[in-house]
Amino acid sequence: MSTLKFRIRMFIKYKDLLAELIKRDIKLKYRRSFLGYVWSVLNPLLIMIVMTVVFSAMFKKNIENYPIYLLTGRTLFEFMKNGTQKGMKSVTQNALLMKKTYIPKYIFTVSTVTSVFIDTVFSLAAFFIVMIATRSPFYVELFYLPVILVQLYLFTLGLSFFLAELHVFFRDIEYIYHAVCTAWMYLSALFYPVESLPHLLQVLVKTVNPMYYYIAQFRDIALYGRMPGMRIVVGGWIWGIALMAFGLFMFQKNKDKFVLYL
Amino acid sequence: MEKENIIDVDHLSIQFNLGNVKVNNLKEYTIRRLKHELTFQEFLALKDVDLHVKKGESWGLIGTNGSGKSTLLKTITGIMKPYKGTVKVRGKIAPMIELGAGFDQELTARENIFLNGAVLGHSKKFMEEHFDEIVEFAELQRFLNSPIKNYSSGMKARLGFAVATMVDPDILICDEVLAVGDEAFRKRCEERMQHMLSGGTTLLYVSHDIESVKQLCDHVLWLDHGEVLMSGDPDTVCDAYARRLDKVYSFRRKLEEDREQLERGDHVDYLVVGAGLFGSVFAHEAKKAGKKVAVIEKRDHIGGNIYTEKVNGIHVHKYGAHIFHTSDRKVWNYVNRYAEFNQYINAPVARYRDELYNLPFNMNTFSRMWGVVTPEEARSKIQEQISQLSITEPKNLEEQALSLVGRDVYEKLVKDYTEKQWGRDCKDLPAFIIRRLPMRFTYDNNYFNDRYQGIPIGGYTQIVEKLLAGVPTLLGTSWQEYAKAHPDSYDKLIFTGPIDEYFDYALGKLQYRTVRFETEVLETDNYQGNAVVNYTGHEVPWTRIIEHKWFEFGKDASGRDIPGTVISKEFSTEWKSGMEPYYPVNDEENGALYEKYRQLAEKEERVIFGGRLGTYKYYNMDQVVAQALELCEKELGHRVSVSSRHVNL
Repeated sequence: MSTLKFRIRMFIKYKDLLAELIKRDIKLKYRRSFLGYVWSVLNPLLIMIVMTVVFSAMFKKNIENYPIYLLTGRTLFEFMKNGTQKGMKSVTQNALLMKKTYIPKYIFTVSTVTSVFIDTVFSLAAFFIVMIATRSPFYVELFYLPVILVQLYLFTLGLSFFLAELHVFFRDIEYIYHAVCTAWMYLSALFYPVESLPHLLQVLVKTVNPMYYYIAQFRDIALYGRMPGMRIVVGGWIWGIALMAFGLFMFQKNKDKFVLYL
Repeated sequence: MEKENIIDVDHLSIQFNLGNVKVNNLKEYTIRRLKHELTFQEFLALKDVDLHVKKGESWGLIGTNGSGKSTLLKTITGIMKPYKGTVKVRGKIAPMIELGAGFDQELTARENIFLNGAVLGHSKKFMEEHFDEIVEFAELQRFLNSPIKNYSSGMKARLGFAVATMVDPDILICDEVLAVGDEAFRKRCEERMQHMLSGGTTLLYVSHDIESVKQLCDHVLWLDHGEVLMSGDPDTVCDAYARRLDKVYSFRRKLEEDREQLERGDHVDYLVVGAGLFGSVFAHEAKKAGKKVAVIEKRDHIGGNIYTEKVNGIHVHKYGAHIFHTSDRKVWNYVNRYAEFNQYINAPVARYRDELYNLPFNMNTFSRMWGVVTPEEARSKIQEQISQLSITEPKNLEEQALSLVGRDVYEKLVKDYTEKQWGRDCKDLPAFIIRRLPMRFTYDNNYFNDRYQGIPIGGYTQIVEKLLAGVPTLLGTSWQEYAKAHPDSYDKLIFTGPIDEYFDYALGKLQYRTVRFETEVLETDNYQGNAVVNYTGHEVPWTRIIEHKWFEFGKDASGRDIPGTVISKEFSTEWKSGMEPYYPVNDEENGALYEKYRQLAEKEERVIFGGRLGTYKYYNMDQVVAQALELCEKELGHRVSVSSRHVNL
């Protein structure tokens, strides 16, 4: 098991680098824009307002608290989207460094996804502001939220590993994945009730769309004040762990070839 | 006291796969995959390199661009994994990272010091302890809190150097990073490095600046095309390197000048059209005879149809299987000057459905087909089959073949294969295509009857490369264009292109039989177990499959097994103008047309037509060489001396 030992030793050696990289990403994100952190909260708020104005009348019958319905879905989906889209480029973007010195390559993917994750946690403030503004009840079940976030973090990081590895070999994956994300968003019932989909599509979304598991859990605790059902909880864990295992496997399998293609 | 080695590099080889074109997007990958164009050229960036560094030594690595210096450093650093051989490092390595690579332009110097330190694998605590020291060396106290994008490149260089060297690594790796920065800074860096060296740090130093190598290093390793040319004392190695550079440059300059003259259309004694075997032999001999000679070639590579290309370590015969065989000692000695030939013997196998037969038709074939044991039995079996048919006057190819070999051999090994070759039913083909079908009544699978046979180790292209060394050659240049741009730029023209093309097809076009290849790179190590397998049945569309690695017994130059394989499926296709011409068609119509062209050619006093296309006749390679040598004798008036003394040096 000397490789495992070696990996652990390497991780310990480079944990400070991981911290530095995350710190850099967060710092720069807030330093670059005029409003800094405020923007991370303002952005989802503004979009929420626009979409509520446009769509809430349309779905009035099925959705009682449209702003919260929208924000629960969007917050999670945006994290997954931003995380994977940035994570995808994490290896290629640091090519120069990787060609010059030995650094465990996963560090870059982990740091990128983690900094997006931290930003998402910060922007949850928007969610709570809206909760207060709409006078929604704060259910005790909300304490379950971190579990959902962990599930989704695993899923996003795993998918990022896979995409980052693919992006080294095929740079145009980027454009394909952007299109996939758009389709994925429309199929994730972010701003419409999932019941309004045709029956077959609805079944499909509820089973094979991983994002549905996380969004549904979040809505259960935030909107309906109940613990999520067994199926979606277990499903959320399975998707997260499976993607993590798959992504790591693919990444580790090909990592030694990276330097030849960067 | 004997110090221990801090770096041990043993028999290190590094292999890159250079795509024929760099494919890094899915679209192109898919298209090429579908078109079977996805081949990779193997390229050894390092070949069997040894390097042993003792603690405290400082080694300079020199060599031209692409010689493998950086690759060696990368492997020592652990960025690249050895393809073969081992690398052992005992100690902490600090690579000096190129300016900017380790820095984030938006961050301040303070933040960058921590980031860069972390990149080098140092803990935050360690960096805090050394922070002041670094700032002091870099002389950046006043600008610590401004983003480094505002820094000058000299300031960034100082900062990078300070972070890398402040930590007293066991091994410092320095790859051409001191080129920037002003004189004062360089002096300080060199001082600092000297100081570290005296403190026991080991240095690996790459630079094109020979003087600084001499100054800093006590050992030098000279790499050239991935191989160690020399290693040892700095003065000796550096001087040898400088001399070599001089020589290479002057040779290149001369060839470059010649090429420019050729492009300008300056006058030459002999202008050779076509860089195939015929043209190259003539050009080589003409140059040796002191004539001014130049070559133009339509394709973008030399060698004509004998061109071989290295794909994944395998020499691929791009224009079909080429097996050199001759009974002419003079020709054999001649080609052996330019390559070492292996002991390959062509023994193709024919596959009919799931039955395999040896070719040419011999006792192995007959005994597999009928279970016969003695030559007598085989003879009578064939005779019996022939007499059953009682064909006296064959009206077509089928009857001709049947009357020569009988029904079984014809149906399994001749019929479908010939039909695929000609794209027509054997009943509709004229009898004269097959005059005889040689049969042997011995157990001998050697296809050729010649005295000498083999494949040049390392492929055919090298032969032509050596023949054309020093002869200015323009690739991708068609004769028509060149002639139009520079009429009268030669005393004599050696034309090895199609003779009808020379006359602008004034009398009509000569026809050819042509073949098409689909080349595939496969992961399996052994696809068919033989270099050439003929597919004599109709169930597959190709006529043969060539598995190129078996021409050289599946081994690379150093005798190791080559992984993977490359195959080419050969298809016969109807000739259309514009296609690669392969085989002249030996029928009356084309023969008569060629005869008319030949008469025209005789009137062209300053033009000599030669080679397969120039004389519209199929030649084996040995015949081409013989023909070219004959022309040299006639034209240049000197006998090409080829005594066996030259051989096997």
